[in-house]
Amino acid sequence: MNENIRHKGRVGQTFIYLGKLLRMFVYQSDWKVLPMGAIIASVVTFVVGANLFVTQEGTLMGAFALVCVCIWNGFFNSIQVVCRERGIVKREHRSGMHISSYVMAQMIYQFMLCLAQTVITLVICNLSGVQFPQQGIISGQGILDVGVTLLLITFAADMMALMVSCVVRTTTTAMTVMPFLLIFQLVFSGGFFQLAGFAKKITVLTISRWGLDSLCAVGRYNELKMVTLWNTIFKFKDIEFEGTKPLLDVILQVQEQGKVDDILYWSGTYNTRDAFVSTAENVLKNWGAIALLTFVFIVVAIIALKLIDRDKR
Amino acid sequence: MEQIQQQVVNNLSILIQWFLFSVALQRVLRKMGGKKTWMAYVPGLRYLALSERLDMEKDGVVCAVLDALSVIAVLVNLTVAIDMSERVSLAMALIQLVVIVALFVFRIRFFLALIRAFDMKKRWIILWLIAEWLTLMIIGFGKKFQPVAVGRIHEDWEAGTAPAEIPGVRSPGGRAMSNTGLSVDLRERTVKELFEKRYLLKDIALDIPNGSLVLLLGGSGAGKTTFVNALIGYEKADATVLLNGADVYKDYDRMKYRIGFVPQQNLIRGNDTVQHTVTDAAELRLPAQMPNAERDEKVTEVMDLLGLTAGADGLVCKKSGGQLRRISIAMELVTDPELFVLDEPDSGLDGVIAREIFTKLRGIADEGKIVIVITHTPDRVIDLFDKVIVLAKDSGRVGRLAFYGSPQEARDFFGKDTMEGVVMSVNRKEEGGEGLADECIERYAKMTAEKEEGVRA
Repeated sequence: MNENIRHKGRVGQTFIYLGKLLRMFVYQSDWKVLPMGAIIASVVTFVVGANLFVTQEGTLMGAFALVCVCIWNGFFNSIQVVCRERGIVKREHRSGMHISSYVMAQMIYQFMLCLAQTVITLVICNLSGVQFPQQGIISGQGILDVGVTLLLITFAADMMALMVSCVVRTTTTAMTVMPFLLIFQLVFSGGFFQLAGFAKKITVLTISRWGLDSLCAVGRYNELKMVTLWNTIFKFKDIEFEGTKPLLDVILQVQEQGKVDDILYWSGTYNTRDAFVSTAENVLKNWGAIALLTFVFIVVAIIALKLIDRDKR
Repeated sequence: MEQIQQQVVNNLSILIQWFLFSVALQRVLRKMGGKKTWMAYVPGLRYLALSERLDMEKDGVVCAVLDALSVIAVLVNLTVAIDMSERVSLAMALIQLVVIVALFVFRIRFFLALIRAFDMKKRWIILWLIAEWLTLMIIGFGKKFQPVAVGRIHEDWEAGTAPAEIPGVRSPGGRAMSNTGLSVDLRERTVKELFEKRYLLKDIALDIPNGSLVLLLGGSGAGKTTFVNALIGYEKADATVLLNGADVYKDYDRMKYRIGFVPQQNLIRGNDTVQHTVTDAAELRLPAQMPNAERDEKVTEVMDLLGLTAGADGLVCKKSGGQLRRISIAMELVTDPELFVLDEPDSGLDGVIAREIFTKLRGIADEGKIVIVITHTPDRVIDLFDKVIVLAKDSGRVGRLAFYGSPQEARDFFGKDTMEGVVMSVNRKEEGGEGLADECIERYAKMTAEKEEGVRA
């Protein structure tokens, strides 16, 4: 036997599979995830876009909605990609395919999809009149920082779904698991729902928590105005006290002096959160946490798929 | 004081029910045959033992885990007073509830299977729902309750645990293995199941010369696919397999590129073109040093040979069953394997297309390669084959070599006109066969020994 015969290594195989996936993007209608992502982003920005990056409340709600969009997109991109062709993967692994090359090709392909979805989401936000922060924290451009955050969240969710797809054996199981993961991500995001104790500790394991913190940080949440206090006072403006309406008097006085915004920004300073502080250090910490989770998902995916030979006939 | 007394009574009641359930289950397991009936007393394992007898292994594993969890929960409740926060205890209660509900469903499944095994009326389930242990007691100790197919169940349980002692059959080893073609010395292929060694294959020795088209025959469960997987090194056995002098097991990472295996199903991506599918397979498996032009030439040659050139740019999912089989074959053939194994390449195909595929395989063998084929409809193409391997389950339900030789020799050996007749003669009587497996294995072993002695003399 010729000992010098070499076969395609991991890098070479990665490109073979990448080519295959790109062809299947066209033939298999994978492109449909792009318009689907656009529709979801449109609906969300239509509902929460007006106050996103304008008020603290609007930013928190909008950021949470955007995180949901990203996770949804990421999950749907890859939840079935491996399990639907598990038999084929097993055959090809038996014939010399490296699992790491296969997963790497999936990663690169999915990254492209996520990038396209992020660009689409940003374009739709822009068209819907979302006011992105002028000043970025890392890149100098606010929209770029938001874009990187959305891309990281989408890709992390995508890799989590890829991991599930590598672990489970059928598409039915994958689609059964997915809603649980989605709910877990949403409930344990930590920012939107008030959590305490052990439940709060769990949030470190979720993409949504780091994604929400990151979006709020790049959106300069702590520097925005808070409207809840003013709106609440406004609701009580007609309350009478000894024949007068003191709250209405105060409201009118503030409005006459043009100090409403000052009040709103002042009240916002009492509603700041450490997790949302707009420093490069904090943003990088959040991005790093998402990247770390992504890395863990990829490693688990590769390990799980390496066990494919144990599948029973 | 009254509360403590009540607690003691409850605990005692749980223990007594567990004991009665275990005793009854042991009796039921004994009636159904097999060993390790003590498992009836071990939470978790008891369902594994039952599942093996009822052919519900998958459910058995899930049920064993749930059973073990529920018992742990009961023990914790009985023995440990844990001061848990309200949320944690709520979560624990929720988990316990899920376990109890799931276990209940699985127990119903098991009981329904037990009803079938003992040919009982379905109304027994009412008593079972009220008192599980009592129902099991009645089934276990009642003389009129016997498994309807006790022999069959017992045999399944024993299958593969003890290979039949057949006179004249020797374990391979010590013979001079051939350095050309495929030389196999398979001593045994076993698996561990529930702490027990089970034999799937035993004592198979044969040499296949290059350029042979070989038919692999055997009844259902005779171990054909297991044998093939062992042969190509995918599922290793206690064996030595030499392919043109190279050890398949010791050098599997290199040898796998010299072996082609076409599985029973068409495991091909539908949404890619035929051309790209075959080209990608060539790129993956042919030597990296091979120039692109040479590789493309190889792809074209194989596609021409298998009649795939027309419509090569079409999507795989648009192709017919016959074309899919040919694409599947092309993916392996393009790598120019020395050993080519095909698991039912003609399944689902009509006679004309099947014949066409086998004719192509004949051509491939004529190029000096070894082609081994499993098929359930051999007679329509038997004239194309050089050799026949017949695997048969011995009386211990272990796959053994019942014959290896030319098709004509096979007809003479078994006294049958057709290959289907050959399979029927070694199949078990329960499967509609003649049940001559042990006899044929013994006769073939003697015949081989005589031949070897003749060669030595």
